[in-house]
Amino acid sequence: MKHVFFLDGQEIPFIPGQNVLEAAIAAGKDQQIPYFCFHPALGSLGACRQCAVKIYAHDSKHPPRITMACLLPASDALQLATLEDDVHTEHREIIELLMTNHPLDCPVCDEGGQCHLQDMTVQTGHSVRHYSGPKRTYRNQDLGPLVYQEMNRCITCYRCVRFYQDAAQGEDFGVFGSRNRVSFGRLEDGPLESPFSGNLVEVCPTGVFTDKVFRHDYVRVWDLQQGPSVCPHCAVGCNTTPGARLGTLRRIRNRIRPEINGHFLCDRGRYAFPYVTANSRPLQPRLMGETTRQDAVLRQLASRLEEGRSGFLGSPREDLQSNLGLFALADCLHAPFAAVTSSWAEALAQQCLALPQAPSLQEVAAADRIVVIGDLDSIAPMAGFAVRQALRQGAALTVLASSRTELAQKGDYRPLRPSALRDQVAQLADDPCLQGGRFPVLLATAETLGPSGLYALRKTLEKLPANARAGAFVNRPNLFGAAYFAADGHTERLQQALRQRKINHLLCLGADPLGEDWGAGTWRTLAPGLDGLTLLDMVDSETARSAETLIPVAAFPERAGLFVNYEGRIQAFSPVYRREAQVLHSAVHGSGFPEAAGGVKHPLGPPPPLFWLGRLAEMLHLHEAWQKRLDFYLHFLCPERPDPEGPGVLLPDTIRARFEIAAVPAARAVTPEQWELDIFRWYGGETLADMADELHSLAPARGLRVHPNVQAAAATLHGPCGELRLPVIACAEMVQGVIAIDQEGFAELGLYPGDPVEVSWEQRQ
Amino acid sequence: MRVWRNISELGAGLWTTLRQLGRTSTVSYPEEPLNLPPRWRGRPVLTRDPDGDERCVACQLCSAVCPTRCIELQAGERPDTRRYPLTFRINFSRCIFCGLCEEACPTLAIQLLDEFAFSKEHHADFIYEKEALLIDGTGKHPHYNFYRHSGVALQGKDKGEGINEKAPVNVRSNLP
Repeated sequence: MKHVFFLDGQEIPFIPGQNVLEAAIAAGKDQQIPYFCFHPALGSLGACRQCAVKIYAHDSKHPPRITMACLLPASDALQLATLEDDVHTEHREIIELLMTNHPLDCPVCDEGGQCHLQDMTVQTGHSVRHYSGPKRTYRNQDLGPLVYQEMNRCITCYRCVRFYQDAAQGEDFGVFGSRNRVSFGRLEDGPLESPFSGNLVEVCPTGVFTDKVFRHDYVRVWDLQQGPSVCPHCAVGCNTTPGARLGTLRRIRNRIRPEINGHFLCDRGRYAFPYVTANSRPLQPRLMGETTRQDAVLRQLASRLEEGRSGFLGSPREDLQSNLGLFALADCLHAPFAAVTSSWAEALAQQCLALPQAPSLQEVAAADRIVVIGDLDSIAPMAGFAVRQALRQGAALTVLASSRTELAQKGDYRPLRPSALRDQVAQLADDPCLQGGRFPVLLATAETLGPSGLYALRKTLEKLPANARAGAFVNRPNLFGAAYFAADGHTERLQQALRQRKINHLLCLGADPLGEDWGAGTWRTLAPGLDGLTLLDMVDSETARSAETLIPVAAFPERAGLFVNYEGRIQAFSPVYRREAQVLHSAVHGSGFPEAAGGVKHPLGPPPPLFWLGRLAEMLHLHEAWQKRLDFYLHFLCPERPDPEGPGVLLPDTIRARFEIAAVPAARAVTPEQWELDIFRWYGGETLADMADELHSLAPARGLRVHPNVQAAAATLHGPCGELRLPVIACAEMVQGVIAIDQEGFAELGLYPGDPVEVSWEQRQ
Repeated sequence: MRVWRNISELGAGLWTTLRQLGRTSTVSYPEEPLNLPPRWRGRPVLTRDPDGDERCVACQLCSAVCPTRCIELQAGERPDTRRYPLTFRINFSRCIFCGLCEEACPTLAIQLLDEFAFSKEHHADFIYEKEALLIDGTGKHPHYNFYRHSGVALQGKDKGEGINEKAPVNVRSNLP
């Protein structure tokens, strides 16, 4: 049955459980009801008194009365009115009260043009305030490099606190003061600690919290070029809206996708974009360290490929089509190809894919028994956010990890060494933490658990009730896509070919085999056998610096592509802008007209990888075969192309089933006396995100994290590929006997999480 | 009576005509300067506030309202968080001198002054950059300073020091 109520005589459909305001907004009638404190994801509060409607009783005894739409449950045949004088008066007077102390600084306010308060003030017709007394002022707080506070503008709707404390469950932000001195911020100056602090910018209906990164290169929103994109910084694949102007990327905002990120975005997704504008980003092809023209570098590369002694290396950091393009080229040339840099990472990807359909974040938020394995917040913060939403609904959370993470403090924490983690996961089926649940969900950080742990997770899942779901997360946007077309043991075969001198040239796409990718230690030992390395990439990585040929590629907001997220959801993103010369001065520009004079700008941005690969195939006279193969693979993986505006397309289970028979490398045995390695990450850490100065300034110090009962100043770790000396950082949250280092450290040592390691401690002087 | 009124009206008309005898209303421009009305809409300029700082805060309302899209600017930020236009460019071969930018400007920075006759050899020369637009005066509004009225703090102006502002709130007080 269709439920409707009546607003000014018009039928408004609603779903039972909705309130009147929610239904009115959904029906596009928010022009008639102004509101502030209501937020679709944060719910109603009834604090601002703005969303007044007049309700007519059905009997003739009671006179009509004014009530708040956000607190009025929608019910059938409700008769409401807004187009009446007393409702208008209420709207206008309430907004005048809210505006009493609001400063007249819209021209210098970054919210101007996207301000809810501006919209509502214009909508209600308030233009001249009757109050002429002095206005209240506040001193601002320094909230770190990401969020800028201007407290004068506050209208005390409490959305920020409701988001930060209730939804994101952060503890370092709150409301202070009493009566009309209420202030929102931290107890003292300092960066906000929550990985979701950037959402304050979007949640705040006025300009109290604005984007500090955008502020440095500000442009009004009406001048921004915007389009649908997908976040490239982890496997969740949140939907984003990048905004660009004059050929440079200025900001990232959330794009609502209920299945994945809803109304929010983590700070990595929001503030990691300056990798696109980083000074170190390669923009011109480089040959032996010298900048060259496109043709020269392509000719040189084509002649190298014609020799037939080249290997191809794809990357989980690059999008699906580019990887497929590289795979198709390797296929045409009958050359060895690998999608990931080590067999361990390959097994990891295969085990992730072998898991049955993972729950979407929307489903995670509805779970009632959750087990989190590892530090989920630092790999995929939005997954951690979904767990917090489930906690708000009363879910029981169990965290298995080697350190007491923020999420662990919110649930039942079981301190475990990485090796014990696998055994614990294997026994989870009989564990009381999953018993009696209506919808149990297991979320793992894939790297901490390792391939054998993921295998154990899959076996556990088979013993659990049929509706139990599991998901594994990495901080690469396309590991799951990269793994699909990777044949078993392909990394090993590529490395073997290099060892046996069958190949002497490597063509890498977005990979960093000599820097921080898994197995980099092995690649470094193999590098002397290479006669040349060609890299197509968009960041200045370790490999880019030592590559013989460097070919720049367009960044993700500058091109179209496909990412496969942790659920196997193929999502498309479209080009948002073209990187162009920013003409700051017509005199500098010479003869050409600036845009203002009707002149055109010259695109400066590098082309996408597919363009380079296509040109290469053309020069090798393979274009037709290459295109045919590319189309075939693409059609095989996604028969229907996802729409950038749509929810994406889920990969069919039949393709996933192929990975259930993949071999699992045995985990290395560890004795209790040995030190064990675990991976340390922080929420803003990722290859591309590390290039973003503002976000990176919050990164914790590099070091070796151990329990404080180790009295040492520094330590040297010994691995099969090298040694690593790091300062010791005592960390009370760590489990004893575990050493946590970053991914670069693992790459240096040639080890993987959960491996035993030899340590020599250096005592404090 | 009626005849008398007709004659007087004729006489008044004749007098108006006769009054102009001996006067010349043609101005030999450009030899002679023009006496333009004060609201004349000539070439827009960027003015400074009474303290000598540039008034423009790069809010981009002028470029938004401009019907010919001839204004292009990029905001910059000074170390004291004061906004200013990093670049400000008007293409006078497109400008129609409508004055909407002046109306939209919340800081009275952009003002249409009296210059109206300027010719160039090339189109590109009509593109005026900020250096050519910014004048060393307050233009038509000698006293207005936006930052005295807005709530934001700046170097040399703390919170509560603006016009019609209370001293900053002590949020740690719980007195009624």
